[in-house]
Amino acid sequence: MIEVSRLTKTFGPRLALDDVSFTIQKGEIVGFLGPNGAGKTTTMRILTGYIPATAGVVRVAGYDVFDEPYEVRERVGYLPETPPLYPELSVGAYLQFCAELRRVPKAKRATVIGDTMERVGLRGWESRLLGSLSKGYRQRVGLAQALLHDPSVLILDEPTSGLDPAQLAGIRELILSLAGSHTVILSTHILSEVDALCPRAIIIDRGRVVAQGTLAELREQAPGGAWTYVEVRGIDGPRLGSLPGIAQVEPLPAVDGWDAWCVRATTDPRELLATRAAAGEFQLRALERRAPTLEDAFIHIVGREGGQA
Amino acid sequence: MNSVTTIWKKELRIYAVNPTAYAFLAVFLFLAGLFFYLGVTLTGEASLRVLSSNLAIAELFILPMLTMRHFAEERRQGTLEMLLTAPISPFSLVIGKWLASVTLCGLMFVGTGVLPIILAYYGDPDWGVVFSTYVGLLLVAGAFCAAGLFTSTLLDDQLAAGLLGILVLLPFWLISRAEALVGDDLALKLQPFGVLNHLEAFGRGIIDSADVYYFTAMTFTFLFLTYRSLESRRWR
Repeated sequence: MIEVSRLTKTFGPRLALDDVSFTIQKGEIVGFLGPNGAGKTTTMRILTGYIPATAGVVRVAGYDVFDEPYEVRERVGYLPETPPLYPELSVGAYLQFCAELRRVPKAKRATVIGDTMERVGLRGWESRLLGSLSKGYRQRVGLAQALLHDPSVLILDEPTSGLDPAQLAGIRELILSLAGSHTVILSTHILSEVDALCPRAIIIDRGRVVAQGTLAELREQAPGGAWTYVEVRGIDGPRLGSLPGIAQVEPLPAVDGWDAWCVRATTDPRELLATRAAAGEFQLRALERRAPTLEDAFIHIVGREGGQA
Repeated sequence: MNSVTTIWKKELRIYAVNPTAYAFLAVFLFLAGLFFYLGVTLTGEASLRVLSSNLAIAELFILPMLTMRHFAEERRQGTLEMLLTAPISPFSLVIGKWLASVTLCGLMFVGTGVLPIILAYYGDPDWGVVFSTYVGLLLVAGAFCAAGLFTSTLLDDQLAAGLLGILVLLPFWLISRAEALVGDDLALKLQPFGVLNHLEAFGRGIIDSADVYYFTAMTFTFLFLTYRSLESRRWR
């Protein structure tokens, strides 16, 4: 549904996207993940045809974004980073305008607007001025605008930014309900977002795709894979590390006077540690196997913790 | 055509609730009243002759302020991104916005309609001249709105865009009064480019195709520049 091949974009001397390629199948929800300034918004703007690519081919819904822009635009719903709203207009007037702009047939307009408002939780808000809405509601109107013409492809740039937890749950549910019938690409720098919504993610950093795959595949890229969390007393780091099969121990902040350690071993060390503790070698309070988080993988892949480029 | 109407309706709707538009509308009507009073009392004629050229100068200062919002503000609030990714051509966007601005000018002129009625009450105005005067003013409005739209695509700050619009239009006024600056010979050659030279005949009841052509050409040039500027900004 979305094919990006060898996409490059330069702004003057600055290389914003460098040889980016990825494919998104019909009905997929894919997270587009990266630190701020990685090139997420630039990619989305090229996908929607707002800005042209410097090199490379982008096809959306089977049409070339550059050669057949109108075919693409009719099939794409786009929520930019800041919801594109006119503060002077009411919610109803704005959506009416968007429906006309998107060529929703006149006879269907009222129904379509009503249904969409219902879907994003805006029922009864027709007469409110856009300028008076809170960030969460602005975001909902932005989403409504993107959904109005029932596009087969949805491109959402940070769709949940500025939402409170209750709104967040609602919007996530809405996005999940689109899976299957719609192809969704959503950008975010919030990892839990990807965890909650996207079976698959593309990680981009400094204009390059640095990893892509299912979340399980991405997690495996975290250094060292799974590890074991222990809370112990009466044993120090070097002794713990010298136990058979233990490869590495890293200190974690102590909990209630118990020493916490991250233990990495060639095989699962839980049985060994439990046996040794039972034999009285040291006191053991917690012993837990932990899978690497997406965050671990992300930090490892991107090579630094979020932050600026 | 459909998308032009969509944009046109949206722009008028926003004008209708825009306090700045009302402020400039009020200024324009005040100036119209003032020029009308001075013109009639100074010349003693039941005509809009003095009013016409002075109103054209008022338009020069006011119309860029009415159009400055269009692209500068759309860009700032992110709505331009929506418009340019919707299935409409940038050309319909430009035309829709221009038509809305010209419509607003038309409404402004309707507001000055009370002036010829006053003339008819006290004197015997030539209605043909009144009509041609308004045609001239509307043609000026079309050209000035196009120029204002153009400068609105150049700058992100709407006030700066408005002031730049005035700056771009000023030469078209001053060129008609250039004798002292460049000497009589050159001034005479420059006069065909002056707005007031082309407006003058309308004030005498003559709709000359050369004058109509002048304003139409100016309008199309600025609309074309607007379109090109809009397109080229996407490439940067």
